[in-house]
Amino acid sequence: MTRIRFQSVTKRYGGAAPAVTDLNLEIREREFLVLLGPSGCGKSTTLNMLAGLEEITEGELWFDDQLMNHVPAHRRDVAMVFQSYALYPHKTVFENIAFGLRMRRVPDAVVRARVQDAAARLEITGLLDRHPAQLSGGQRQRVALGRAMVREAAVFLMDEPLSNLDASLRIAMRAQIRHLHAEIPATFIYVTHDQAEALTLADRIVVMRDGQIQQIGTPDDIYERPANLFVASFLGSPAINLIEGIVTTEGGVPAFRRGDLIIPLPADVRPTGPGIVLGLRAEDVAPPQPGAPALQGVIDTAMPAGSDQFLGLAAEGAMIFVRVGKDIRAREGEAVSFALNPARLHFFDRTTGLSLRRREDL
Amino acid sequence: MTGARLRRGCILTGGSLLLMAYVLAPIFWLVSSSMQTEKEIVSIPPHWIPDHPTLYNFIAIFRTGLGLAGPSGAGADPTSGGFIPSVAGNLLPAMANSLIVAFCVVALNLLIGVPAAYAMAKIRFRGRTLTLYVVLATRVIPDIALVVPFFLVIRKLGLLDHLFSLIVTYLAVTVPFTVFVLTSFFEQIPDDLDRAARVDGCSRTQVLTRVFLPLARPALVAVSLFAFLASWNEFLLALMFTQTAASQTLPIIVAGITSDFTVSFSFLNAAGVLAVLPPVLLAVIFERHIVSGLTAGAVKG
Repeated sequence: MTRIRFQSVTKRYGGAAPAVTDLNLEIREREFLVLLGPSGCGKSTTLNMLAGLEEITEGELWFDDQLMNHVPAHRRDVAMVFQSYALYPHKTVFENIAFGLRMRRVPDAVVRARVQDAAARLEITGLLDRHPAQLSGGQRQRVALGRAMVREAAVFLMDEPLSNLDASLRIAMRAQIRHLHAEIPATFIYVTHDQAEALTLADRIVVMRDGQIQQIGTPDDIYERPANLFVASFLGSPAINLIEGIVTTEGGVPAFRRGDLIIPLPADVRPTGPGIVLGLRAEDVAPPQPGAPALQGVIDTAMPAGSDQFLGLAAEGAMIFVRVGKDIRAREGEAVSFALNPARLHFFDRTTGLSLRRREDL
Repeated sequence: MTGARLRRGCILTGGSLLLMAYVLAPIFWLVSSSMQTEKEIVSIPPHWIPDHPTLYNFIAIFRTGLGLAGPSGAGADPTSGGFIPSVAGNLLPAMANSLIVAFCVVALNLLIGVPAAYAMAKIRFRGRTLTLYVVLATRVIPDIALVVPFFLVIRKLGLLDHLFSLIVTYLAVTVPFTVFVLTSFFEQIPDDLDRAARVDGCSRTQVLTRVFLPLARPALVAVSLFAFLASWNEFLLALMFTQTAASQTLPIIVAGITSDFTVSFSFLNAAGVLAVLPPVLLAVIFERHIVSGLTAGAVKG
């Protein structure tokens, strides 16, 4: 059980731009925190500083009330799963899992019991005598998880643990990791560039870019109330539609306008400049309703996707992708109209990229 | 189709045999002639297989080496065979010297080279690349250029005619190579393995001993053999720094045999056989590791 606090942490390699800049982050006990961002955003560096594998250039890292900056990796109560699994090729699966305990001089009987227990939970009991080279990717992944599990560490770090697995296995392992978090009393910090993984696993998500935190929040927060254009476009599949427009006044209230598309801004949206960007998620369209702002366009492409269908809509000089039910008959070249619910839309300042929605928590 | 393949096979086999004969013939002659009398050795055509194989020369080396009288007939007329050079008694002590120097050089090579290579491969420190270049650069300086400076240093240290002089200078020559080969081998070992071991509770030293060394065994064997051979065969520096039998190594004594007032070829070859034995024995023992070790630096380990 450990509360972790980053206080103005900066990491610089040589003279180049910092990999992480002025990071302030508090991680709660037993929380499942996901660091999400594109490659090179500093999320792995953050994890490595947490593990003691990278030195902290500036700032402080605290575990509860202990300053960790100069505690070496092997003295931290931290377990870690690596993207490449990093199993010891010269050791059997059993010895791989047991290694961390052996290094800490845990009695042999306890080692055996814990390894057997972990192996049973991960369903790799039959593999204990093999060497890593004889295992499949999925099996190696389980061994790597087992090696971290048996440590019973207070902090459990995972660096893109699923990205080397194929799609179906990845979904299954996600569920397994969730169970793991429910079962062991550790703080989980998970690094990924996969937004779907982050949304399924996290209690809270930290979105990072260029070494800086963009937004911290629950998956709902991040998805429903993105703080800026980057967060909005990084989450969601298909990607959010971003439509540039200008701020006008419509019947006394400020409104978004692009061509014929006019949307009165909700009360909690305050424009900060003339340029405005509308964020429209593919699923946030409805059949036309009187009184609601309407998005009108011509169907450019119709792509059935099993349970529903995606439409590529040429509207107001832009291509907008929407997801609609199968009951809507869509033929390419046909003109259609959808209702938009202003409360479900996102508005950003075109220059700063920041969300124009006032946040209660700020 | 089959004919072409058969012919290809024949050419390959023939070529291999030819190459093997070319490489092995001198060694075969060395061994064979060491067991011949002086008269037989100069006979024309040469006897590849001795008519009357004799261990006379070897007995002489071991008896004189142990301080006993030479075998009967020693010092007889060189033309009729049985001539034992005056340095014969120094051969065994020289072999001991060579072995001591070689083993010390190997041990110190590993002791210095392994941690150095680990640091170069896995620890980011200021001046890492420069250090590696400097280490490598010392390897491209020919030994002959170093002889005089070495000599001055060794004399100042009062180490002339002492085995230490050889151990120290051989280290200077072999350690850069060891560091280079081991560094490139350690670089092949993924960083994540290093990180995983540290998170698992290993200090840097323990990462090295528990994870890296077991994985690096082929490379360790290879660099050990190189260091052993380099110091076993070294002639130039040994010639400069040693003056008496107290520190002279095998190559010096063997070369000295030719400068006696007459030369016994069979004896010279017997000494040659002794000089070849230890490296051959090592090669046979570690044969399994050598091939993988030689390519260790080049491709993935």
